[in-house]
Amino acid sequence: MFKAELAKNNIKANQPLVSKAQVNKTQKTFVHKKHGAWLEKKGISQPVVTVFAIVGCFFSLFCALSFGAADISFADVWYSIWPNEADKDIGFVSRIIWELRMPRAILALLAGCGLAISGLILQTVTRNPLADPYLFGISSGASLGVVILITFTGGIFTVMTPIAAFAGSLVAMVMLMLIAGRRQSQQVESMLLAGVALSFLFSSFTSLLLYHTDPQAVTAVLFWTMGSFSRAQWENLLFPAVVITTCITFMLAYRRQLNAMLLGDESATTLGINVNRFRIIMLLLSSLITATLVSMCGGIGFVGLMIPHIVRFFISQGTIFGILLTALVGGIFMIWVDILSRTVLVNQELPVGVITAAIGSLFFLTLLYFRKNRAS
Amino acid sequence: MSQALNESKSALLTAEHLSWCTDGNLILDDISFSVEQGSFTGILGPNGAGKSSLLRCLYRFVKPEQGTVSFEHNDIWQINANDYAKNVAVVLQETPSHFNLTVHDVVALGLIPHKGIFSRADKSDNEKIIQAIVQVGLAHKTQQHFEHLSGGEKQRALIARAIVQSPTLLIMDEPTSHLDVRYQIQIMELAKSLGITVIASFHDLNLASAMCDNLLVLNQGKLVCQGEPKKVLTSEMLSDVFGVCAHISEHHQHKVPHISYDYGYIQYKHGEHHV
Repeated sequence: MFKAELAKNNIKANQPLVSKAQVNKTQKTFVHKKHGAWLEKKGISQPVVTVFAIVGCFFSLFCALSFGAADISFADVWYSIWPNEADKDIGFVSRIIWELRMPRAILALLAGCGLAISGLILQTVTRNPLADPYLFGISSGASLGVVILITFTGGIFTVMTPIAAFAGSLVAMVMLMLIAGRRQSQQVESMLLAGVALSFLFSSFTSLLLYHTDPQAVTAVLFWTMGSFSRAQWENLLFPAVVITTCITFMLAYRRQLNAMLLGDESATTLGINVNRFRIIMLLLSSLITATLVSMCGGIGFVGLMIPHIVRFFISQGTIFGILLTALVGGIFMIWVDILSRTVLVNQELPVGVITAAIGSLFFLTLLYFRKNRAS
Repeated sequence: MSQALNESKSALLTAEHLSWCTDGNLILDDISFSVEQGSFTGILGPNGAGKSSLLRCLYRFVKPEQGTVSFEHNDIWQINANDYAKNVAVVLQETPSHFNLTVHDVVALGLIPHKGIFSRADKSDNEKIIQAIVQVGLAHKTQQHFEHLSGGEKQRALIARAIVQSPTLLIMDEPTSHLDVRYQIQIMELAKSLGITVIASFHDLNLASAMCDNLLVLNQGKLVCQGEPKKVLTSEMLSDVFGVCAHISEHHQHKVPHISYDYGYIQYKHGEHHV
């Protein structure tokens, strides 16, 4: 009986147990169905999806250059990017595209990629599906920095605003590192709790300061926390681009270690990973992304929390393409949110954070609803 | 196994005067033993005896206060963590959370110690992964989510991960708890079939008796006896360490000690029989 069972399950005594033919057969059977998420079940491979996402990304950027208050046709966008000497003069259109829309669209792309990646990192290393780049008090730290600046200088928005925001986020980050870095055991729990506590601490200081400043500053701060890409300029794009590219490269290099963190700290340790150090480095990277983006675009909720989940519905995120796709989907989402924020109301701009939260949550709830139905 | 053969083999892992305490409680107290190459060692003991703590010291998760653990005659804390992971695979009870890792993903994690950060998995790595999955009999579940597997299948997937790690020593912490009897035997047969040195902690004494070449019995952090199952599994030891009355007979097929428990004689206090 027992031997028959073993034979049935291909468990045989003494190695080597598996014939080459058997391996080949299994490999053939699962070559398209290696992973269990939705897209792979349909037999669509990740590289193909990634190529589509890159094409989609360029298309979205193109749309972002065309749509807006001034109506610019696709043809004009094309000619301003690749000028044709024989063509009509489109100097004015070209200026709108190159000086206003292009940096803005690229910042939106960077912000989307960065926040999605940052969320993915945090959710993985803390093994907590609710982890979010703003959960650790980074955005409240930035808000506090901005509010302190406004309170003491009186100016609403100046060149100093991103610097104050970045300084605020750095303070939050350092405090979190000091608390979480000290603990060797139960690092995840102390990190999450400390993050939430810091977030409340900063928020209370922010509220206190706002309570004593003039109402105009309160409105300004409120708008700032809802996020906007209107302050995008070419010279400000280099820093976030470098930070985000570095972080994505780092993440791609350590993707196996990231996956191993999902097994639990103890198992990850037995695979040769210094778990606590790895987690702190990853937290540092994701905080750096968040701090950079918060200082430039204000607080944009939802993307960091939800985009990794949405991508996870469709593909397995453990691979190179899974990580790249998470970033690309975040970027594409953000570009379209920015397009909406500029076009929904005539001659007026909606805060980006409002749109991300509204559209994103509805989309996520729909997915959740249909997934539940499918499972039952 | 003959005595001569035993002596000819070298010790793969040696623990000397191991002590470990946490929050002022002595968890492991002066433990010394060695594990021969190719042997199957079982660690027995009641709950809280220090089995998992001892294993943690062996797989380099906690550093003992006193004493040393050496692997191939090198102190394991002098060995690079990654190099140690190339040689020692560990199967624990922790299971991945719900981040949709597939069986293939989990098994592929065994490559970590062998792969540089920028290297991609090549064809031979993929073959190795598939071979391990086939070997543990999960070929039909390769694309399934790990969380949707049954307890026994999870254990087998984790063992497949350990196989991909291609270790010389496999450490397993209570690999058979929560499993039904068929999976218990299956997992143990599988571990034995790998032909490498195995150290595992057990709750099922009969299973330990059937599978192990060598047994270590822990009680309150002390190593109370060690040796072949025939020598270790006695009514006196069971009464002293586990507080149960048991009758030891010979297994009808494998000629190893077989334990039949007597009911109604649990000792609530040491030395005092409650009827």
